[in-house]
Amino acid sequence: MIRRALVVALLIAVAVPLLLAMSQLPPHGSPDTPPNTHVSPYYLEHGAEEGGAENIVTAVILNYRGFDTEGEVTVIFTSMAAVLAVLMLAKPDRAPRVAPTPELPVSVVVRFIVRVLAPFIAMFAIYVILNGHVTPGGGFQGGTILGALVIALSLVLSREDADALLPRKPEHLLQAAAPIAFFLVGMAGLLYWGEYLYFPRDEAQRWIGVLMLTIIEIGIGVGGACVLIRIFRAMRTE
Amino acid sequence: MMLQGLWQNLDYVASVVLFCIGLYTVITKSNLIKKFMGLNIMETSVFAFIVALGVVDGGDAPIMGAGAEPPFINPLPQALILTGIVVAVSTTALALSLIIRIWKQTGTIEADELREIE
Repeated sequence: MIRRALVVALLIAVAVPLLLAMSQLPPHGSPDTPPNTHVSPYYLEHGAEEGGAENIVTAVILNYRGFDTEGEVTVIFTSMAAVLAVLMLAKPDRAPRVAPTPELPVSVVVRFIVRVLAPFIAMFAIYVILNGHVTPGGGFQGGTILGALVIALSLVLSREDADALLPRKPEHLLQAAAPIAFFLVGMAGLLYWGEYLYFPRDEAQRWIGVLMLTIIEIGIGVGGACVLIRIFRAMRTE
Repeated sequence: MMLQGLWQNLDYVASVVLFCIGLYTVITKSNLIKKFMGLNIMETSVFAFIVALGVVDGGDAPIMGAGAEPPFINPLPQALILTGIVVAVSTTALALSLIIRIWKQTGTIEADELREIE
């Protein structure tokens, strides 16, 4: 009872100052609030020409704040490495051994639907990855769709067929595709223009910038998908 | 005065409510997976708040090209939160694998029971 009262008191103590702060913020949706007046108008005005991407979100992620995103794809890769380290180095367990659950037969409907939809999902994922600079989407979103597709397929296929979808050999390299793509594009900028992760800004060289963005998008998409699949497989073998 | 401000900023209030729901889950549940779900709800509330900061009334998605007319929604919070979501996914995967490991070592994921084992 006292516990419950303490929880309620804590929640009130958290909520009231937050609500007070929220009531002091400028009205929601007004165009002249601080977040909307400093750097964003510049991005909106020049992002399409300078960034090489009509989708300004992509221009911000990959061009203006490319360093951020490079660090962040490294975070994804590192987290996968950590997951593998935690799960694979486990000692023989002391836990009460549960009988291994027999593989349940998958419903015919589910298997049929997943198999029929798979090519279309794959096409959609590739479209989202490759068109990230002109339409909503990009490497992260497309990579997630691709990873989800492989996970869905490994739920309905037999173990051998599912493993054949992404063999071990290229997988190791593809997991690091996102940092590698960033590094290659960044080094290209360093070698040609003397600046790491430089994107050309003139109109004549615009196609080079778009090409560089596309390479990074493909790297993020493939790398993200492989990381998701690897984490899923590591947890499934438990 | 305060109520009026809250009414104007209903989107922000929603994220405060979501934050409190997450905090409640973290404090009261003893199952580690449920605790982590609460943490994820708190994360989501922060994401929702930051994205809501960038909303402009009547704004379009910040995608240039034929037929795009201002006002546009602020692209910066969206870009930041996109990366934030991916990092949240990474931390979730790591936490879940740690929970699997705890379960293998001790046979339980209830926080109370774990405390007794210690």
